[in-house]
Amino acid sequence: MATCTGCSLLCEDIEAIVTDGGLSHVKNLCRKGHGHFQAVFTERTEPSIDGQKVDLEKAILAAAEILKNAKRPLLYGWSNSTLEAQAAGIRLAEKIGATIDDTSSFCQGLLMERIIAGTIPTCTLDDVRNFADTSIFWGSDPSNSHPRHLSRFSYYPRGDKRQKSYEEERTCIAVDVRKSATAQLCSNYYFRLAPGGDAEFMEAIISVLDGKIPKVADKKKMIELGTLLKKTEYGVIFPGLGMVYSMQDRMDLFERLMARLNEITTFRAIPMVGHYNMRGFNELLREKTGFINRVSFKGGAAAHGPENSVLSAAKSCDAALVIGSDPLSSLPFGTARALSKKPIIAIDPRRSLTTDAAKVVIPSALSGMEAGGTAVRMDGVKIRFEPIIESKRPTDEEILTRIMEAI
Amino acid sequence: MVGAMEIYMLLPKTNCKKCGLPTCMAFAVGLLGREKKVDECTPLVEEKKYEAKLKKLREVIAPIENASETGLIIHPEKCFGCGNCVVACPVNVAADPTRCGVGLGPQSDKVILKVEDGVVVCNNLKECRRFGPNKTLCNACTVTCPSKAIEFV
Amino acid sequence: MPEEVEVTIVTVRDIFQDEAAKKSRFSLEYEKLSALIVLDKQDMARLAVKDGQKLLVKNDAGSVIIAVKTSADEAHPGLAFMNNSPWSNQLVADSVGECSIPGFKSIKAKLARMEETANVTPITELFSRMKG
Repeated sequence: MATCTGCSLLCEDIEAIVTDGGLSHVKNLCRKGHGHFQAVFTERTEPSIDGQKVDLEKAILAAAEILKNAKRPLLYGWSNSTLEAQAAGIRLAEKIGATIDDTSSFCQGLLMERIIAGTIPTCTLDDVRNFADTSIFWGSDPSNSHPRHLSRFSYYPRGDKRQKSYEEERTCIAVDVRKSATAQLCSNYYFRLAPGGDAEFMEAIISVLDGKIPKVADKKKMIELGTLLKKTEYGVIFPGLGMVYSMQDRMDLFERLMARLNEITTFRAIPMVGHYNMRGFNELLREKTGFINRVSFKGGAAAHGPENSVLSAAKSCDAALVIGSDPLSSLPFGTARALSKKPIIAIDPRRSLTTDAAKVVIPSALSGMEAGGTAVRMDGVKIRFEPIIESKRPTDEEILTRIMEAI
Repeated sequence: MVGAMEIYMLLPKTNCKKCGLPTCMAFAVGLLGREKKVDECTPLVEEKKYEAKLKKLREVIAPIENASETGLIIHPEKCFGCGNCVVACPVNVAADPTRCGVGLGPQSDKVILKVEDGVVVCNNLKECRRFGPNKTLCNACTVTCPSKAIEFV
Repeated sequence: MPEEVEVTIVTVRDIFQDEAAKKSRFSLEYEKLSALIVLDKQDMARLAVKDGQKLLVKNDAGSVIIAVKTSADEAHPGLAFMNNSPWSNQLVADSVGECSIPGFKSIKAKLARMEETANVTPITELFSRMKG
């Protein structure tokens, strides 16, 4: 059995037959996971400096040289690396006084902070399967982003207390600006929001829970929702980026909604983390520094703040090590352009805009497929996995250790 | 999916009864239910004036003829590989309760639906509840599909 | 004369685009699923465009030429959807608020119809805009 690192569900029931140069009869991988594992055969990176192919050792020495000479280095990515590689990365950041940040910085970070700190109650996905009778997909569309979410945990499987599952014992609700693929499965319980309308909708839920008339157009439907939430035995909200981006500095309101729901019944939240080990990085960095992301070790002690976010540091850094991430594709264009002009060291199993722009490219083994390690699933469960094929490519951890030695 | 009326419009509409049915509409319903074959409408096949209609009819009827005996059609190009149908199918759950029952991919050979190479595939169709004399109109696999990749004709 | 239409673009996830991205960001398949904007029927009519026609999408942050597709959802005039990609990121402003999160899901942009022969902005062009 293999573990899929295609998203943060870390599905562990993957069976694959590997023949020369290809996978065949892969069982239980969803379309997204299948694409992820197929990638091992396409667009692989080669060690290079300034676009010229070199041997691995040379690329590692060049990377060490860049970091050694940098005054404000940025180490970015991390959410597609194992805990072991992340730990090596944090050690490297401490050693060279770098800024370190991961994709959560402009993704689920705002919510994850509160989940890990415990101000928003959470549970495991196994708890969801065993106990949940109400699942709310809020600004998330797991059918597209985490395809097996509904079948493994949140709607269709049977669980300890949910033997009759979706047919009789589970309800799922979608709150979204569009009728997504997931919303279509929620049939009667789809609530359409205007973009940015999440806070208002939360206020309306709190109103109906307090027995007040909500300030929304469809009062009847809102009251019906209130009744359903009150009758819930074990509810779980799955906030996606739709909610996080809309709430931003009003995230306290979501905290208040969760607190209010928990006065009535049991309600938990699990953020829909995209990358397979974003949460692992957040937990690890918090353990070491007290902060989940956006940390600078300049001057020795760990400092935290927006100036250390990748959004700022992409512009202010004088060199960047990017691992398992493609910021030149995922950042706003202006920020990506600023970053692309800096000397970049890209550690990645496959080609991306970032590896194309990088001064030094170091190929790595693809986690789950060619490299083993440990990762933290979106719900905080630690999962250890072994590689299913042999690879000559070094793991992220080995590369980082060798760079550190060279420094 | 094509409807009986759409099929009817492509027939001669003469109610000639050569197919053994009283009306062309009845024949259209027969085609849809896969009880009749296009070739049983001899005028349509033999008479040149129906050439265009015949061609079109064969096109619209092809997916129905290719459907499995229970009428199940899988469109792999639409499938997300999410496994909702695998976990929802009552036959799958009965055949592999410790896996399909709890959301995992099946290991039993007796299941009907499983996900392979990123998309759903179908086996043991005669176990489907829509098969045989005691068939029921179970639709667990279609109502749980996020992309209409499974349908019944 | 077709109008210029103003919309708010919300970026979303799509499993087929994700699959294509994981295989190769440089493939035509990835371009096809990324350089694409989904509009509701009313906005399609205002622009006098059909599926597959190209639009110039622009704002202060940047501009791209991408294909248009009709939404399968209920009416949502003024609201458009794009799969999150380097194409949508061309339109995301650099400035951020208190939480340092860019407006990935609230992109205001103007749409204008392109001539029939126009091609979508290729990823190589996006790359050279960055490095150039």
